[in-house]
Amino acid sequence: MVRNYLKSSAACGAALLFFLPAILGQTANPSKAATAPDLTGVWMIDQFHPALFPKGITPPFTPWGEAQFKKADTLVNDPNLACLPHGIPRLMFVPLPMQIFQVPDMVLIYEEAGNQLRQIHLNRDHRKDLDPTYNGDSVGKWEGETLVVDTIGFNDVTWLDHVGLPHSDALHVVERIHRADHNTLVDDFTIEDSKAYTKPWTASQTYHLKPGWEIAEYVCDNNKYVYHEK
Amino acid sequence: MELTPINPEHMFSLHGPEMKNYSFSGGFAVNTRRFLFVFALAAGAILLPGALLAHHSTAEYDMTAVTPIKGTVTKFEWSNPHAYIYIEAKDDKGNAAEWTAELASLGMLARVNWKRDTVKPGDAITIYGNRAKDGRTVMRLEKVAFANGQELSAQVR
Repeated sequence: MVRNYLKSSAACGAALLFFLPAILGQTANPSKAATAPDLTGVWMIDQFHPALFPKGITPPFTPWGEAQFKKADTLVNDPNLACLPHGIPRLMFVPLPMQIFQVPDMVLIYEEAGNQLRQIHLNRDHRKDLDPTYNGDSVGKWEGETLVVDTIGFNDVTWLDHVGLPHSDALHVVERIHRADHNTLVDDFTIEDSKAYTKPWTASQTYHLKPGWEIAEYVCDNNKYVYHEK
Repeated sequence: MELTPINPEHMFSLHGPEMKNYSFSGGFAVNTRRFLFVFALAAGAILLPGALLAHHSTAEYDMTAVTPIKGTVTKFEWSNPHAYIYIEAKDDKGNAAEWTAELASLGMLARVNWKRDTVKPGDAITIYGNRAKDGRTVMRLEKVAFANGQELSAQVR
């Protein structure tokens, strides 16, 4: 009996030691879930993939989507030529670094591209009747080690990739962002837009941690490229 | 010198991993490209020419050949979304020719040791890069060589 008691206290003690960091963590920073994984740091894409669909593979376009894609010309009507925001998901494919911050109720992604700050709201649902915006309305939740980000509320101005893959204001992007290891971050995208595509499809981007890097100022003050769309 | 508007005839096509189609167009082309390409493969293909230009695609440049142009710097624009070097050079017939070299954005350049005074007006340099497909005297810079023989890459990775 005594022996069993000792055994179970030892087990309790071991359990307490095991959970102590989590408990202390919660006490020290009550605004941040004790179990929230750490994604903070400066990250840079590992490979630049201008086109989400390789040559020879046709995206599942609707007729409208295909017509939009045919109008796209990287040297004429890429919204980025006017230094407009990239929109989501393209912002996450830009070959410039991003810094991830975790603050109470939000994950913030500070992109060197245009010095845009992407807000991912952790403890709310999408607002009702969203104004269409370049980067949409992003809400996130943790599923284990993965930050799941749901974004809607887009305008139809941006491209999904660097070669003109189109979308409409019905775009819905789900991202699963997780650390594959200490130095590697992966963002898996599911892209859904019933006006432009006949079915949802997926893409993925890997990033490497860049210790010592700082995000630089990026203002298009000498843009020699003109946006001729209108 | 201002860049004229872009000729909208090319879709984005050649990127690092797809450079197997490259060929040399004679004349100014140098075969350091082959060395660089093989080196990149050997190094795990981390050298990504396509990644240089964050702001717009490389579609307007002939990514299959590197052209060296020797001249004197007239201006260095240290600016976003791209930095630009302007040099006064000579063409095949000895006539004056003004060249413009386009670089990456300032943040990425700073990470590969470029500074706002890396090149200065009056410097004698050679610029190496991928020239515009439409024949303008414009290139996407790969590297510069200084009068003392030192070189500095403009590749960001």
